[in-house]
Amino acid sequence: MTSRLEAIDLAIGHGTVLADGLSLSVAPAEIVAIVGPSGSGKSTLLASLAGVVPALGGHVLVDGIDVTAWPVHRRRIGMIFQEPLLFPHLDVGDNVAYGLRRLGQNRREARAQALEALAWVGLDGYADRPVERLSGGQAQRVALARALAPRPAVLLLDEPFSALDAELRQRLAADVADLLRREATAAVHVTHDLDEAAAMADRVLRMPPEPGQPLARVPR
Amino acid sequence: MGGGDGSLSLPRWVGWAWLVPGAFLLAFLAYPLVALGARILDGLGQSALVPVGTGQVAALAAAQALASTALALAVGLPMANVVSRYRFRGRALAQALVTIPFVLPTVVVALAFRSLVGPGIPQGLFLVVVAHAYVNLAVVARIVGAQWAQHDDRHEAVARTLGAIRWTAFRTVTLPALVPSIAASAAVVFVFSFSSLGIVLLLGGGSTRTLESQVLRQTSVLLDFPGAAATAAIQLVVVSAILLGGAALSRRSPRRVMRPIRLRRPTSRSGTIGVRVTSAGIAVLVLAPVLALAVDSLRSRGSWSLAWWQAIGSVDAGTTRIGSPLSALGTSISYALITAAIAAVVGGLAAVAVLGRGPTRWIALVAVVPLGVSAATVGLGTLLAYGRPPLDLRATGLLVPLAHALVAVPLVVAVVAPALRGTDDRRLAVAACLGARPTRAFLTAYGPVLRIVMLASAALAGAVSLGEFGAASFLARATNPTVPLQIVRLLGRPGEESYGVAAALAMVLVAITLVLVLLVDRLGTSRQPAAVGTP
Amino acid sequence: MGVKALLAAGIATAAALSACGGTAESASGTVRLLTHESFVLSQSLIDDFQARTGLVLEVVTAGDAGSMVAGAILAAGAPTADVLFGVDNTLRSRAVGAGVFAPYASSAADALRPELRDDTAGGLLTPVDFGDVCVNIDDGFFASAGLAPPSTLEDLASPEYRDLLVVEDPGTSSPGLAFLLSTVARYGDQWPDYWRRLAANGVTVAGSWTDAYMGDFTKGGGGGDRPLVVSYATSPPAEIVYASDPKPERPSTSVMPDGCYRQVEYAGVLAGASNPAGAQAVLDWLLSPEVQADLPLSMFVLPARDGVALPDVFTRFAPAIANPLQIAADEVAAGVPDWLAEWGAVMGR
Repeated sequence: MTSRLEAIDLAIGHGTVLADGLSLSVAPAEIVAIVGPSGSGKSTLLASLAGVVPALGGHVLVDGIDVTAWPVHRRRIGMIFQEPLLFPHLDVGDNVAYGLRRLGQNRREARAQALEALAWVGLDGYADRPVERLSGGQAQRVALARALAPRPAVLLLDEPFSALDAELRQRLAADVADLLRREATAAVHVTHDLDEAAAMADRVLRMPPEPGQPLARVPR
Repeated sequence: MGGGDGSLSLPRWVGWAWLVPGAFLLAFLAYPLVALGARILDGLGQSALVPVGTGQVAALAAAQALASTALALAVGLPMANVVSRYRFRGRALAQALVTIPFVLPTVVVALAFRSLVGPGIPQGLFLVVVAHAYVNLAVVARIVGAQWAQHDDRHEAVARTLGAIRWTAFRTVTLPALVPSIAASAAVVFVFSFSSLGIVLLLGGGSTRTLESQVLRQTSVLLDFPGAAATAAIQLVVVSAILLGGAALSRRSPRRVMRPIRLRRPTSRSGTIGVRVTSAGIAVLVLAPVLALAVDSLRSRGSWSLAWWQAIGSVDAGTTRIGSPLSALGTSISYALITAAIAAVVGGLAAVAVLGRGPTRWIALVAVVPLGVSAATVGLGTLLAYGRPPLDLRATGLLVPLAHALVAVPLVVAVVAPALRGTDDRRLAVAACLGARPTRAFLTAYGPVLRIVMLASAALAGAVSLGEFGAASFLARATNPTVPLQIVRLLGRPGEESYGVAAALAMVLVAITLVLVLLVDRLGTSRQPAAVGTP
Repeated sequence: MGVKALLAAGIATAAALSACGGTAESASGTVRLLTHESFVLSQSLIDDFQARTGLVLEVVTAGDAGSMVAGAILAAGAPTADVLFGVDNTLRSRAVGAGVFAPYASSAADALRPELRDDTAGGLLTPVDFGDVCVNIDDGFFASAGLAPPSTLEDLASPEYRDLLVVEDPGTSSPGLAFLLSTVARYGDQWPDYWRRLAANGVTVAGSWTDAYMGDFTKGGGGGDRPLVVSYATSPPAEIVYASDPKPERPSTSVMPDGCYRQVEYAGVLAGASNPAGAQAVLDWLLSPEVQADLPLSMFVLPARDGVALPDVFTRFAPAIANPLQIAADEVAAGVPDWLAEWGAVMGR
């Protein structure tokens, strides 16, 4: 189940190069955090790993297989964002079941498994709710369950807690770290909050200030 | 963000906003129709029977309208996508171009089509459907585009990381999110096609009919007023049902937070190609018939010539028909401005009323009803109500813009209401918590969105007025013809010059519209607020 | 911003327009002429009329002739104008029956052509002009095809002229209805059979005159492929008048003299007019030699007044139609609904 994610000499950016020569290796079940000021390309790096934004150079490997040219949906790389981005026309259960349905499960199977994933994030009994009746924290938990339900090889987290208030943020960050460890899912967590990064991750890297420089390890 | 929480802090006048559209509809729709109905019932001595064959005509018109709507959506959705979401060279022009077909007088569209396809494609259902789709592209592109521009496409990115291929992500995430605007625009296109007159008469070859063309035939050929009233009533019922259905569909979808519009460049090579192909497609599709007309305006006896353009100034000089083309232009433009102002105020307030509580928010649905009333019916009713003593508005020159506003208000509502509903009302609560008075808070929360969509919809309203012919032919003063009236009059007589000058005038109308729409779009984007973060 | 600001802007604009649009008039001195959208005269005539009578003449249009008459019928007794011009012999019976007109016998009526002098619907209407709806021919087409142009209604149904004719839908077009009436007048009860033969011979039906002439007709400008079209006997001179300079020597089209239907346009004082005296003055003026002489070149109709000299293009290219077909107004009113239904059945639409 658990997988390794590697980036080799990656160049990223929207059309023009924002950063290049980025290399990264995330071991199975390892949580790596990447910190850096806003605009440094953290989010773009994640988007390029997932394939949402095409890489401008270099390679992305999942379990040693070069997936750089693969479309997003084949990479098995899950992603959650700052906002939950729940699908507003689906209820909580169908949101979580979305990825399972794409794996070919029928609605009943997917729904059943979604209930399980909701239990991971502490939202038993929420499956039939419309998503607009969730609080911000609950919505982000649903997004997490949705991303993890289809068992991705790697989960990418793009500042998922920054829109929440401080107390909620800490609690949710701890829950997420627990969950990732329990499910032994490799993860890359991008944040501008060094404390949050340190609390969750096995390893913290810093985005390079200039293009062409490597990701540097932040000592603990 | 519970939908109801915010309305606690809505300013009190929102609760009364319905009064303006209510009074407008009462005065300029209900009263004329009642006056007309009363007159017909009042002893013209005929029995009111639904004319034979009405059901068949209605069914045929419904099938035709369905096909027109499907085609308009199929072509309009990619246009909405590209024009409203991507930044590329010529975007503003492409957006303005899309609006052109909508404002061309139907007579001009019909002629342009025939000039383009030649006699090879026979008149009939096919040509009518294609022309309806062409004319209504702007409705789809603008209404859906307004919502699409604010749709957060990271939803699709999420869907893709969850294993959805592009098409699946579009089908399961994008489309459902756009349901409100798609439903709203589809309902409008359906209604326009279902109750279409000009295109049906000109391209239908006589065999394709609508209830509207039946009404005209019953009033002006058979002078069968009770039959016409029955037919018009059936049309009103069908159209109202469709519009209410569309409105219900667009209301059912949940409220959601929209992002401020942020145009982007296409990210991938295939994306770039897609944007280029679609924008080039827009240009070709929209321009081909217009270019055919432009060529017609420059050809005289088989060679290139500016004769028709020069004749614009002199044609019919010294007659009662056309004072000067300049004055017709002035008339058309001032009617368009007044229509835009009336429609923006009336339609905007109807849309705002939706935010309020209680039954008054249904005014937005009622405001859409004028789309279903046949132009001939409105024209005759307005003449009876306001064209003779004691209430004679004809001399004020307001009858035409008022009639145009009646058609334009539903479009304004269709654009503004979904945008307001989609606005994050937490901002309202935040502003209120910060001590803003209700009106101030309202403007803080809804002002930016309101400004953009009101300008866009006012442009649409003005455009409707620029191209409208039916109501104008009933209500305009003979000494103040609009440009479409002039074009139609020119086309109503033989001679090479008539056709050539009509084509040249049509090109002038295209140019004015293009300038108007470009201006308003620019106004809309330059005043657009910087990205507002979620509170 | 402002809903309020917008509202204010709207009101300001409206006020500005109504201010510049309003004509400051004394009500008694204004007379309104209700007419169809094809109405046109030389502006100098109207100026003369106003100067001479001291009346202000306001021309109001209300769609095509049918819509205009429909509006007049609905407003019968409390009209939107004082005098009406443009009701024709296919529509007049219903308007007269609905009490639209007040009796008025213009002294100028004595000067009308003899056959029109008594055509007044019992003193309610006065003929102002007439014209004939005839099949028009693209002469060049037939010359280069080496084919003699058709000369009778019968010819139109014969195989040599297969796929050459375009007509207008009688349900939506005034010349279309006139052409149908001419076939009813010619063939009596057998007219549906004639239309069956026309259909078998490939006739095309267009929705309107504009569509047929400008679109389908080979000489209309729209690049059509039909060299025969139902139009007016005065279309060939119009072709010269509305050509750019230098004007062509002669029109490229001519008129088939058989099967023409005679249309007469009338004027009448509206019952309940607020300015009946003004209305009568307008009606007299419409029959005056000056206005009658202006009619051919402005509206391409022929003067109802006897002895008015026609312009050169008319005498040369619009030959008088010797035996036009016509059906009495009452018969038309009674027959048209059934004829249209029957025509629709025959033509499969």
